Amino acid sequence: MEAVIKVSNLVQGKGQRLVLNGIDFEVMPGECFGVFGTRGAGKTSLLHILAGIDSFRSGEVTVLGCNVRTNESFKASLGLVTQARSLFLDLTAYENLDFFAALKNAPRSRIDQVSRSLALDECLDTPVGSLDAGLFQRLSLACALLNAPQMLIADELIKDIDLDSRQILLTALGNFLSGGGTCVWGFSDIGCCPHMSRVGWLEEETLSILSPEQAAREWERRLRQVAANGSGRDEDHA
Amino acid sequence: MEVGVMKIMPRQYLAIMRHEVLMLWHDTGLRHIMLWASLLGLCLFLLVYRSQAITAIPTAVLDLDHSSTSRQLVDQIANTENLNLVASVNSFDDLKFLIKAGRVIAGVVIPENYGRDLSLGRQTRILAIIDASNMIYATNASSTFLTVSRTISAQAGISTLVANGVQFNDAQDAYQTVDFQEEPWFNPALNYAYFLVLALALNIWQQCCTLAACMTVAGETGRDSWLQIRATGISRWSFFSGKALVQLVAFFLMALPIFLLSFLVLKSPLQCGFPVILLFTMTFALALQSLGAMMSSLARNPVDASRLGMIIALPSFVLSGYTWPIEAMPHWLQSLVWVLPQTWFFQGFNYLAFKNPGWGFISRYFLALLIIAGICYGVAAIAISLGNHGARRVES
Repeated sequence: MEAVIKVSNLVQGKGQRLVLNGIDFEVMPGECFGVFGTRGAGKTSLLHILAGIDSFRSGEVTVLGCNVRTNESFKASLGLVTQARSLFLDLTAYENLDFFAALKNAPRSRIDQVSRSLALDECLDTPVGSLDAGLFQRLSLACALLNAPQMLIADELIKDIDLDSRQILLTALGNFLSGGGTCVWGFSDIGCCPHMSRVGWLEEETLSILSPEQAAREWERRLRQVAANGSGRDEDHA
Repeated sequence: MEVGVMKIMPRQYLAIMRHEVLMLWHDTGLRHIMLWASLLGLCLFLLVYRSQAITAIPTAVLDLDHSSTSRQLVDQIANTENLNLVASVNSFDDLKFLIKAGRVIAGVVIPENYGRDLSLGRQTRILAIIDASNMIYATNASSTFLTVSRTISAQAGISTLVANGVQFNDAQDAYQTVDFQEEPWFNPALNYAYFLVLALALNIWQQCCTLAACMTVAGETGRDSWLQIRATGISRWSFFSGKALVQLVAFFLMALPIFLLSFLVLKSPLQCGFPVILLFTMTFALALQSLGAMMSSLARNPVDASRLGMIIALPSFVLSGYTWPIEAMPHWLQSLVWVLPQTWFFQGFNYLAFKNPGWGFISRYFLALLIIAGICYGVAAIAISLGNHGARRVES
C-alpha cells in the first residue's frame, strides 16, 4: 500500500529560527495521524506545508502522489480545517458552504449532506462571525468535507469547544475515516491521543513517531518529572 | 512559483464573481461610500458653485478727492457688474481694517486732486488693492479692475484730446484703432459650475475606485480565509481576475448616475455624446482597477495597500492638470504626471466634454489608458505569481 503522505528531510524556518529541521514521516491510507506539540512547536507550519499553503526551505513533500512544490492537483482531494478562523466571517454559514462548494466543484447536494451530518441546519442563515466556537468548527469541517476529500488536514479540531460540538465533530471524523479517508490532525491536548492511529511528537524542530499509548505515557512521565522538579525547587527554597 | 494548478471551471469563476459582489455588499461602509459619496459630492459641489461665476466682489472706496469727477468714478465702480460697492471709507487705515477683517476683497483709493489732474490732462494714479489671500477672488477682482481701468483711461484720453481741440469722433476713433475683442470659446460664460462640478465629483469617484481596487489582492491575502482559498487549488490569477472583473463593472455602474444627473438633469456641457464618454470612462475604470490591483499585489498587507492607494488617489486630481495647467508645473513633473491614468482621464474628459476634438485626437488617450492597464496588470500578475501570498503564518 502506498503512503498518502511522504515527507522527507523537510526543513522550514521563520526568519532566522528553524521550525522544522529535517523531519521524515509517512502517513498511510485510512490513518488518523496526530501531530502533537506544545505551542510554537511547529504543528501549524507542518500542516500548512502538507496542505500546500506554505512553501518550505528544503526537503521533499508528496501528498496523494503529487510533489506539493510542483503539482497542486492533490488539492482537489483535500479538506482543510485551520486553527485560525479561516471562513468568511461577513458571510452567512450557507454563503460560505455555497462558495466553497463551487470552488471545490462539489455538487450542491453535498451542502445538504454535510450540513445535516454536522447538525448545521439551524445556523445556515447566521453570519459566521457570530457563531460560537463549536458551531464554527462544525461549519469549518463541513466546508472541508464538501468535496468528499481523500485527505483531511485538521488543526486543533476540538480544542476549547462545547461537548455537543465535540461529539458531532468526532462522529463526522469517524465516518470520514471509516469511509476510507485519511486524516492528519494537529493537536496540543494529549487527551486527543485515543483518536489517533499514530502520533508524531513535534519537539525541538524534530518529529518522533509514537503510538498513542506511548505518547500519552511520555506526557505523563514528563508531568511527573516536572512535578518532582517543582517540589525539589520548593524544598530548595524552603 | 505557482505551478500545476487546477483548470478553472466556469462555475468556479462565476462563484468567485458572485462572492466578490457579496463581499462588496456585506461591507456596509464601503458600499455606502461607493454608492453615495460621488453623488453626494456632485450635489454639494453644485450647491457651492451654483452662482456659476464670481460676481459682486465686496469693494470699498477711499475717495481722497471728493470732486464731482471722483464721485463719477465711484458711480462707475458701483455700476460694474462684478464689483459690489459695500463701503466708503475716510482713511487708508479704515480700508486696511476692512480688508484684513475680510469684509471687503477689493479697495479703490482715489487720490487727492484726481479731478483737477484729469481736467489738466496730467497723469493720475488710482490705487486698486486686492485681497490676494483668496486666489479665485483676487483673479476675478484683478480682471474686473483691468476692464474698468481700460474704460476710464480711454475716457480720460478722449477728454484730453477733445480739450486740445480734436473733434470728439476723431478722438474716439483714435482710441478705437485697435479693437481688442475677447471671445471665450467652449465655456463662453466662464462658468465655474460647468468647469468644476462634474470633475470634482469624478475625482471623488476615482478616489473611491482606487481605494477599493487596492483591496483586490491584499484584501484577500490579509484575511485568514485566504488559507482556505489556497487550499482549494484555485489559481490565484483566476481568483483575482474574477474579483477584478466585478470591481470593473461596479466602478462603471457607480459612474453612471453621476453622468445621468450631470448631463441629463443639470445640463452640463457634453460635446462628444453619451456613448463616447461612457466608453472613455469604462477604459479609465479599467486603468484604475489595474493600478489598484498592482499596488495591492505589491503591498504587504491591507493597511499598506490602503496607504499606497491614498498616496496615488488623493493628489492625482491636482497632478492631472485639470485645475492647474501641466505646462505650469516643473519640467520634470510635467512628464511624470502622464504616468497616472487620472491625468489622461481628466485631460481627455475636458476635451470630450467641451471640445469633442474627434477620434483622431482622442484615440491616444484611450490607447494610453489601455497601455497603463496592460502594464499594471502585468506587474500585478508577476507579483501574484512570485509572491507567496498567504504563506505568513508559522505558528504552533
